[in-house]
Amino acid sequence: MKFHTNDPDRVKPYIDFSLILITLFLVAFGLIMVYSTSSYEASMSAVTKNDAAYYLKKQAAASIVGIVLMIFVSYIPYHFWEKLSGIAYVVSAVLIGLVLTPLGYEANGARRWLRIGISVQPAEIAKLAMIIFVAGLICKLKDGINTRKGMAFIMAPPALICLMVWQITDNMSSAIIIFGISFVMLFIASRDYKKFIVFAAAAAGLVALLIFAITKMADSDKFGFRGARILAWLDPEAYASGKGFQTLQALYAIGSGGLFGKGLGQSIQKQGFLPEAQNDMIFSVICEELGLFGGICIMLLFAFLLWRLMVIANNATDLYGALLVVGVMAHISIQVVLNIAVVTNTVPNTGISLPFISYGGSSVMFLLIEMGLVNSVGRKIRF
Amino acid sequence: MKSEKRVKRVRRIRVENGLNKDMQAKLVILFVMVLLAFAGLGVRLITITRDNGERYKKQVLSQQKYNSITLPYKRGDILDCKGNKLATSEKVYNMIIDAKVMLDKDESLEATLDALRTCFPTLDISAIRNHVTQNPTSQYHIVKKQLTYDEISAFLEMDNNNEEYPDIAGVWFENEYKRIYPNNSLASDVIGFTVRGEGGQYGLEQYYNDVLEGINGRDYGYLNEDETLERTTIPATDGYNIVTTIDANIQQIAEKYLYQFNEEYKNSARDGNGANNLGCIIMDVDSGDILAMASYPTFDLNNPRDTSRLVGMKKSELNGTVPYDAVVLTESNIEEELADDELKNANLANLWKNFCISNTYEPGSTYKPFTVACGLEAGKLTGEEYYTCNGALQVADHNIKCHNYKKGGCGTLSVKGAVENSCNVSFMLMGRQIGSPTFLEYQSKYNFGLKTNIDLYGESRTDSLIFSGDTMGETELATSTFGQGFNVTMIQMITGFCSLINGGYYYEPHMVSKITASDGSVVKTITPRVLKQTISEQTSAEIVDYCIGVVEEGTGKEARPAGYRIGGKTGTAEMVPRDRTNYLLSFMGFAPADNPQIAIYIVVDRPNSWVQDNVGFARKLCKQILTEVLPYMNIYMTEELSEKEEAELAELNITIKKATQPEEEEQPEVTDAPDVDEEGNIDPHGGDVTSSNQVTEEEMNSDDVELAPLTGNVLNVETGEAVRENTDEVPY
Repeated sequence: MKFHTNDPDRVKPYIDFSLILITLFLVAFGLIMVYSTSSYEASMSAVTKNDAAYYLKKQAAASIVGIVLMIFVSYIPYHFWEKLSGIAYVVSAVLIGLVLTPLGYEANGARRWLRIGISVQPAEIAKLAMIIFVAGLICKLKDGINTRKGMAFIMAPPALICLMVWQITDNMSSAIIIFGISFVMLFIASRDYKKFIVFAAAAAGLVALLIFAITKMADSDKFGFRGARILAWLDPEAYASGKGFQTLQALYAIGSGGLFGKGLGQSIQKQGFLPEAQNDMIFSVICEELGLFGGICIMLLFAFLLWRLMVIANNATDLYGALLVVGVMAHISIQVVLNIAVVTNTVPNTGISLPFISYGGSSVMFLLIEMGLVNSVGRKIRF
Repeated sequence: MKSEKRVKRVRRIRVENGLNKDMQAKLVILFVMVLLAFAGLGVRLITITRDNGERYKKQVLSQQKYNSITLPYKRGDILDCKGNKLATSEKVYNMIIDAKVMLDKDESLEATLDALRTCFPTLDISAIRNHVTQNPTSQYHIVKKQLTYDEISAFLEMDNNNEEYPDIAGVWFENEYKRIYPNNSLASDVIGFTVRGEGGQYGLEQYYNDVLEGINGRDYGYLNEDETLERTTIPATDGYNIVTTIDANIQQIAEKYLYQFNEEYKNSARDGNGANNLGCIIMDVDSGDILAMASYPTFDLNNPRDTSRLVGMKKSELNGTVPYDAVVLTESNIEEELADDELKNANLANLWKNFCISNTYEPGSTYKPFTVACGLEAGKLTGEEYYTCNGALQVADHNIKCHNYKKGGCGTLSVKGAVENSCNVSFMLMGRQIGSPTFLEYQSKYNFGLKTNIDLYGESRTDSLIFSGDTMGETELATSTFGQGFNVTMIQMITGFCSLINGGYYYEPHMVSKITASDGSVVKTITPRVLKQTISEQTSAEIVDYCIGVVEEGTGKEARPAGYRIGGKTGTAEMVPRDRTNYLLSFMGFAPADNPQIAIYIVVDRPNSWVQDNVGFARKLCKQILTEVLPYMNIYMTEELSEKEEAELAELNITIKKATQPEEEEQPEVTDAPDVDEEGNIDPHGGDVTSSNQVTEEEMNSDDVELAPLTGNVLNVETGEAVRENTDEVPY
């Protein structure tokens, strides 16, 4: 026994097989759903060269690269990333800035992508970078984070990145996610409750006020397309052909699926009615094809995944590792909750993808890298 | 115990280095919050399905696209008897812009617009650019309609050349058929036209609309048993082609001379066309096949609503009738006169209708062969009778004059002489012998008062326009013998006339000989149909003899084409109002005289001349048309040619064919109808003329009839007086 305790590296490293299994299952299920949702549109459109597997191929390639990177990252001792905190922050800021240069390009009406060999969304990189950066910053400040000044000091740099993501790439949902990740990490690390509750309540109040103002305002144009989206959220059928169209079609998909759905591949809504069926709206097609049963199963899988992340975070050997895992957990929770909330019209429509499942190469690749980080933290755990 | 110790130690280490207990608690709280959120969303999913599931299910089904894409059929062609296309449907292409595809790659927009600019110089590129930039998600925008394959082929080549032009995207072409009439106005009244490629209007297009139309194919969606959408394609069925009996060359010859006639006489005595109407039918005597059916004015089938074709016509009323004193439409007044759209449509309808089958009129003396045939066939006449004409005959209260009234009448004439000289008094006397029951019996045998059922749209009914036993009195019978008082159509006249000269067989006149499918297979062959025998072969032979006499001895001399012997009958009908200023001139004939093959009927309705009652107008047209048609049909010349005639033929590029020349018999040389340019002039080049005939002095004089320079009147060769043929004081 002494031998083991004195020399922990000789102990067989902890590998959370259930976490890896769920991750791989979600990625595989995602590929199936991406093919199911996109094949009809892809086969009909000249843009995709009438190749039914066009989206599947791209997603599969990104997934394979992601899995390789996940394995690779899980072997890197995670303290290596702590040293890179500052660099990660600067790199993510620069990449967001690069969108404005000719390297950036526009797709689906928004300029959010960079073409540097492969095409990536800097916002996805920023999410990972922010996890690394905030964890490092908290560890550096130690107890200092419990003061109001310390909190502001920790939240200021991510807030700046959020502002850049929002303003430069016009991607408010990613900005909210990045802010949410940082906020949750700080919440866990801090000793305080009150300040967070007050802040959350204040934010909720502000949002409520804003919504109230928009509904009372005859001229919703002042709030741009986001104002219109809020009106469409409150009454999607009144905006059935405009801003409410996508939401309403998603609701039709969910509602028409029934308890067990129409069967895998049998969705009608994906045939040209539901915009972004393979992307933000993939969950509604899951409900249409696999029913309430399928949708709730997916939610349970995410719950299980989050539980495993919580276990690893709670057992991490040091604060930095634990905070990395908390960041990943926050990232996945926020996206899953918001995505399903959008699809069910619980919150106004905003573009958030469902982790591992939605189409999007950058998203799945960086999520898998994050899972690699979690595994590298897990490897140090000794039970 | 040892293991317990170890756990404690590990926990301590963890407390020191990992999350402390507070943090762990916070993480659990966070996890529980997320689970609560999941639970809330799960409840939301359940309520959506429970509360709105059925409604949403119906919504999903109702917004499916069951509506179909139409795959257009090809309307059948209309061909002449030699297979020339009179009407055809050409595949044309509509240019569609797909903005979404065009904007997919940054380079595509400019590259595609450049290519469009090169291939379609008239295209408004900036309008396309505006459309694409303003509607970036639009996928279907028609830019240009009905482009031909030749027009788009250059662009297609560039589009398919991915090496040189990799960025062209977002332009595609949709098929459609466009109705084309390659000969524009040729046989316009016979062919008719279509509205946007379907729904035939007038003529063959309307009569045979069901045959020409195909069935559109469809590409459509439906829900199968599992309530999933499936799509099926049913290909289009093309319409059948119709092969007409029309010979485009003969038709062209006829139309050329009608056009020339109009050019010569228009605006001479009054404003407007050379005659109110001109009509010409050429028919195969032994089958009822219509070889040509021409009328003037014509219109452009490719642009039937072109009002410039109305210029020269008299303005019609809203109901389509043209009053006697109607305004003549001119280039300067047409806009004003036809400002009302309905009125414009009525006038266009008047232009589109086929004079040869739709207009009714009193035939005049061309009816006389029918009267004689009736008398001979019924045994009321023997053919040996003689009649004396003193210039007029008292019938009931009316003193009805002959055309030779001023010269003291025609004198004593045989039956043949009465026909040759077109003596009205003799015919009125024959009418007394025949009696109205027999006259009417034969009139209905000849099919007057009934439709001929020719396969063309718009044949007029004439049942109320002829006499019955109740309405025919002594006077009516008298005038009917020379074709006044009742109305006929051109097609009735020539069809009946064919039966008079072919041995008495009344063939149903028809335009279409064959219906073929788009793959060329024959669907139906329409064979000539004898409806009845009107007169015996013996009587028919008599009539042929009389009609030959008309051309050789009587009023029809001037109608004979050089080199041929023909028969026929002239007619000068007085029209309402009977103020002796409105006449309809006609000539009805057959050729060749010894073995009649074709019949021809010319009508000149109120020529544009100070003196209208001159049958020379119709005779001249007959001569001109037959001069070209008979050689074209390889009918051998039997008569000697004068030098003058030879010169005329040479000018027309007509090869002289004689049965006595064996080498030509073996290789009969077919001369196509000469090229005619816009002014109706004949191209003097091409086609060699061979002539081996010696012309005698005698022959030169016999048929040489002069025209008075100012009036256009025919002058009697012996007396130098104007030859007149008219009816007088007819009480209608």
